[in-house]
Amino acid sequence: MNMANATLQINHVTKRFGAGETQVMAVRDVSLTVAPGEIVLIMGPSGSGKTTLLSMLGALLKPSEGTIALHGTTISALKEDRLPDIRLRQFGFIFQDFNLLSALTALENVALVAELAGVKYGTAHNKATEILIELGLGARLHFLPEKLSGGEKQRVAIARALVNDPTLILADEPTANLDSKIGHEIMRLLRAIAKEQGRSVIIVSHDQRIKDIADRVLWLEDGQFKEMKTRAVDPVCGMSIEGEKAAAIFEYKGTTFYFCAKGCRDEFERMPEKFQEGGTGMA
Amino acid sequence: MSLAWRNLFQDKTRLALSISGVALAVMLTLLLNGLLTGMYVQISSYLENAPGSIVVAQEGVTNLLAATSILPGGAAASVKSQGAAEIVPILSQFIILDLHEKKQPAYLIGYDPKIGGGPWNMAAGREPRNDKEVVFDRTLAQRHGVELNETLEILDRDFIVVGLSEGTSSWMTSFIFIRKSAAENLLRAPNATSFLLVSPSPRFDETEMTTRLREIAKVEVVPKREVMENDVRLFGKFFSAPLQLMVAIAFLVSALVVGLVIYTATMERQCEYGVLKAIGARNGVLYRVVALQAFIATGVGAVIGVAVAFGAAQLIMAVYPQFLVVLEPRAVMQALVTGLGIALLAALFPARMLARLAPAEVFRK
Repeated sequence: MNMANATLQINHVTKRFGAGETQVMAVRDVSLTVAPGEIVLIMGPSGSGKTTLLSMLGALLKPSEGTIALHGTTISALKEDRLPDIRLRQFGFIFQDFNLLSALTALENVALVAELAGVKYGTAHNKATEILIELGLGARLHFLPEKLSGGEKQRVAIARALVNDPTLILADEPTANLDSKIGHEIMRLLRAIAKEQGRSVIIVSHDQRIKDIADRVLWLEDGQFKEMKTRAVDPVCGMSIEGEKAAAIFEYKGTTFYFCAKGCRDEFERMPEKFQEGGTGMA
Repeated sequence: MSLAWRNLFQDKTRLALSISGVALAVMLTLLLNGLLTGMYVQISSYLENAPGSIVVAQEGVTNLLAATSILPGGAAASVKSQGAAEIVPILSQFIILDLHEKKQPAYLIGYDPKIGGGPWNMAAGREPRNDKEVVFDRTLAQRHGVELNETLEILDRDFIVVGLSEGTSSWMTSFIFIRKSAAENLLRAPNATSFLLVSPSPRFDETEMTTRLREIAKVEVVPKREVMENDVRLFGKFFSAPLQLMVAIAFLVSALVVGLVIYTATMERQCEYGVLKAIGARNGVLYRVVALQAFIATGVGAVIGVAVAFGAAQLIMAVYPQFLVVLEPRAVMQALVTGLGIALLAALFPARMLARLAPAEVFRK
């Protein structure tokens, strides 16, 4: 990869919380380069440091050590008061719970972000309308979030992330609250954003399906990127787990299923037919 | 602006609560101030409407309503010799009336109808023509069912009510008027005079006249305005402090109500504000949203409060005519400024909370 053209480059980033005996090292010496138009999927178990890493990539949190550069500008060294502008114009955020403003319509949710960036009211509304129509929400412009389906809310959130033409989209579990069909639609959209518009996309997710659209899949564990091993999927919660590190195992019709927690195994035991299609087991 | 507006109107019950809180506070502030102003107007109404610009009283007496004054004999002649153009003598005294078995304090003024110093606005009837006639305050008469031509006992003597005066009432005491000769008999003080209400001749202005009159021995010479101020100050001492305390309590309660409502609304949307911060909104933008919400709620509340106060004032005066509620433009301005103060206080704590909000938290919700 040509480092000079990289959208994002992080070098030896470490994040520590607390001090002394209670100190926690959430991210340890992580390095990563993301090219324009590239989709990077970061996976890992809960508590592995994914959210902390995503927060640092989005200039919401400063690393304890190391540097984060966006288009060659070391944003981790910038003063706090310069970061809101960077976040507003250079990043697009997509959240697991959509996080739309409940009092504003779909159109206003998107236009507000453009207005925050200094775009005039009329222009901001025109641009927001254009993006929402492109995303198939032309008939939902004046609907409040409570009147939208999960998929529609996430498309509004994507429109909001795109309205200021960012070069980097950061998505936190973008398909977690969506059913399979809508989740697939959102994945297709994210791929189009990367490949047709040349924006880099970093996704943090447990959703194995996103692997299909990712250019690179990284496994974060104990705050460090590790090699992806042969993995199984917990059929109940969908989490990717190493067979050796599974919290529980269950044999069903000649197949071994692996679980991230005993609770998932118990649930599977009660209704195996409901879950056996969702996971990957080893015969 | 639109976000503040939408946030406010999304929960209409909360908005109504917030507006009602401010309206109530502004109304209470205005009404209490109006009562205080009305009380001052009532206290000084007699001198305000009486002739003359200088009051001559017994030595050491500087107010009309709270002291007994008996001028030395020959005071009127001395005043005349100093160049006064008009001298109105009155004999006055606080008395307790027994009206249909109810005790009622009143301020009795004995005056000479030919010279002046009596009621300035007759609502019904006429001024007294002999020493057995009295002019009663209309409101006092109404409250106690006293009617024209009714005979009343005043300090063991019978008087016929021949007139009802307007603008002479007060919730503490009201003015009643008899002839000065009748007052001298009633108070057993022949030829006595309490006060001389003096108008200077064209040769002297008020200051020069006052200086000249102060040469007279054993009398107190005070400009009429100063006597009115002394009366207001004296009675204000008793009533303005508790009324002002009530105004302060009303202000605090409404600030707390609006503050709590805006704070709760902000807390409930903490996540949304966190999202805005994460996306790139600066603290200033969020402060503006919260402050606008507080200003809209208090602005609407203050305007409603002013309107309700005017209505309530009319109602109070209709039901309790002894109360005068004077809503001056200055007091309305004060009430609106009070609303502004409430808004500022209400926005303060939510703004501090937003300033501390960590944008990175949105990924952890």
